[in-house]
Amino acid sequence: MEKDLEHKFVLQLEENQRIVHKICRLYTNDDDSHNDLFQEITIQLWKAYPKFRGDSKFSTWMYRVALNTAITLYRKSKRRIKTQDFENVSFKIASKEFDDTEEKQLALMYRAVKELNDIDKALVFLYLEDKSFREIAETLGISEVNARVKMNRIRRKLRTILNP
Amino acid sequence: MDELELLKKQWHRQERDLPELSYNDIYNMLLKKSSSIVRWIFLISIGEIIFWTGIAFLLPDSSKKFTDDIGLHNPLLIFNMIRYTVFAVFIFLFYKNYTKISNTDSIKKLMQSILRTRKTVRYFILYNIVGTCVILIGLNIYYYFNQDLVFQLMKNSDDIQASMNKEHFISMFFISQLVLGTLLIIGIIIFYRIVYGILLRRLDKNYKELKKIEV
Repeated sequence: MEKDLEHKFVLQLEENQRIVHKICRLYTNDDDSHNDLFQEITIQLWKAYPKFRGDSKFSTWMYRVALNTAITLYRKSKRRIKTQDFENVSFKIASKEFDDTEEKQLALMYRAVKELNDIDKALVFLYLEDKSFREIAETLGISEVNARVKMNRIRRKLRTILNP
Repeated sequence: MDELELLKKQWHRQERDLPELSYNDIYNMLLKKSSSIVRWIFLISIGEIIFWTGIAFLLPDSSKKFTDDIGLHNPLLIFNMIRYTVFAVFIFLFYKNYTKISNTDSIKKLMQSILRTRKTVRYFILYNIVGTCVILIGLNIYYYFNQDLVFQLMKNSDDIQASMNKEHFISMFFISQLVLGTLLIIGIIIFYRIVYGILLRRLDKNYKELKKIEV
């Protein structure tokens, strides 16, 4: 029984791992921390898995547990906090369809998002993932109106970071 | 269109160069131990309980003999019984809070339940500090009114030289009690500040951010 559950869980996580990687990329600055956080999220997801009833999509459920882990449960390793390696983690668009300026602009924007605080980052992340304000509000535990207001403020904050 | 909308439009393109873990990679992660702050708080709480309980058993025999001889055997026994009952209540509260923490709650609710656990920890710390103060003060008041006995008992042990006169000894005795007691209390406070300060700094900051959104 336990083995079946384990197998099912690993398959589902394997299929949806991109969500977790995106969160790791946003909340950490180097490969080691990325892997650390991925591991902790995996453990937390597995711990919560028995409570996942399947009335929502696995991926929807994942957002909450993964963000909870990144923001609240995960303990950043001290020695790694300062090692900023933006080249590795900045927003990469490996494609020639875009001209250089747009690509650079996107990389700058991604960097600006990374400079936000943990909570603002979560809001922006969910917004970029096409989540509705209702879902964003529920994940964070705030009201929908407040989520909208906050998002507008973050937009302004990002603009100031980009055009100081 | 502002930059955020531009980023949103291109957001899913980054998926191409995200790392890809295999089934086995993920499976192996399940076998690893969590290092979440909740687990740390829980482990530290257990460590504390073992530490404070252990300290009572680790007291040297000479010290036990001293308190027995001076007539404090029964009061200390009662005191320890009360202490362990309170410890048991704290263990129960810790465990109850711990099981209530759920990573499927909203971010805010999760933070609240962790902070509730912290509050219990705080009371536990406060209890230990106040308890230590009370017993130190109580003991010294008792010693103060039984100076002759203290001097006699100490003289019989090898701790002091027989040549030392009583007044000199008693003032030395109380000064060293005061210094050691103060150092002990300061040590306990610093220890807790460091441990929980490190553990909960980030959570505190994020919780304040979330509360700010609400006003």
